[in-house]
Amino acid sequence: MTLASKFKDICLSLGKNNNPAYAVMAIATVKGICRPTFTMMDKTEDPETKKYTALREGLTEAIAIPAYWTTATLAGKMSKLFKDKKQSTLAQKNLLFIGVCTAALLVIPAACSVAIKPFMKFIQKDKKDVKNPVEPQKFDTGAVNNIQVKDDAVKNYTTPLAHDDKRPNLTAFNTLSRVQTSMKVGGV
Amino acid sequence: MIGAVKNILTSSNLANIAQNTNASVTIETGLKAIGRPAFIWADKDIDPQTKKYAATKEFLYQAICLLTYMALVIPVFKKGFFSLAKNHIFKNEDAFKHFKSAKEYKHYRSLAEKSLNNRNLTSQKDLGSGKVIDMYDDTLKAELKKEKPELFPLVKGAIEFGSIVGSVVGLAILAPQVSHAFIHPILKFAGMENDNKNKTEKTDTNTEKVDVKA
Repeated sequence: MTLASKFKDICLSLGKNNNPAYAVMAIATVKGICRPTFTMMDKTEDPETKKYTALREGLTEAIAIPAYWTTATLAGKMSKLFKDKKQSTLAQKNLLFIGVCTAALLVIPAACSVAIKPFMKFIQKDKKDVKNPVEPQKFDTGAVNNIQVKDDAVKNYTTPLAHDDKRPNLTAFNTLSRVQTSMKVGGV
Repeated sequence: MIGAVKNILTSSNLANIAQNTNASVTIETGLKAIGRPAFIWADKDIDPQTKKYAATKEFLYQAICLLTYMALVIPVFKKGFFSLAKNHIFKNEDAFKHFKSAKEYKHYRSLAEKSLNNRNLTSQKDLGSGKVIDMYDDTLKAELKKEKPELFPLVKGAIEFGSIVGSVVGLAILAPQVSHAFIHPILKFAGMENDNKNKTEKTDTNTEKVDVKA
């Protein structure tokens, strides 16, 4: 089958029964590619806003494509309620169109409201975690000071040596106050 | 009530609209212009000022897309693709030889889809006033006298294919560019753009950001 005959078959099929879902799904597919691309190409916008907007636009169209198809198909199946063949054919065409309209008016905006916001929040939360990793816990000095020493002997033993008059006060050992002699490494 | 619903569902006029890509896409875009802003407006989690801005912007975007589609895309692609199909793609097909333009085919089809009695009345009326039917060749005039005339699905399909291509190019590529050029000046003129930009700077990034890009 050549390309020309294939194209002729497509045209014949569209001429006999033009499902309105085809056009809107084709539009949604190209929009889902082009709109985020145009958004990302905009140099005047803040990069974070651009990423956010592009992702939201892409998601909207990604939701729209199956929503159009599902709603139109489900609506079209209701035509089986008509037993007369002519009426059933007309009803199928009309119900497919009504399905597409319902998707555009109610189903897609509702699905976007429900699905996009949590998804975007989830993505932004992940980004925040990467940018601001969890800070290490600060050393709680208060907790250490509150440790109660039960044994009095240990408490007496740990009395600072600086308060003992019999021992030399090491804080007075100042290296700068001593005369620097010869060229020792380290200067002491 | 049930009878009224049944009449709508089996309406041949509605079926004609449903089978026409341009009409169905126009109606669908019009519904989008109502539905999307309405859902943004109904969202209780968004700040009222941001909601107003986002809903207005969405409405303007869809409305400008619709106007662009109706003004530029429909006439250009409908006529253009019919000419392309008639003169190049299907130049050897007999179906295309009967019609000079997409408008002529549309008129013929509208007559052919009617019952024979209604069709004759319309034909006489049109003949009397010297309208499009005068341009039909003998084959088409003979067809219109039959109970079930030939509908030339290939011509219809070619027109619809052109309309789908035009809708895709127009609504997914051309109209967003046009609306982007108009939306920001309109919003600035309405005093909504600056206020909101200041607002977004203050808000935390975790909250719902305003879609500044169309």
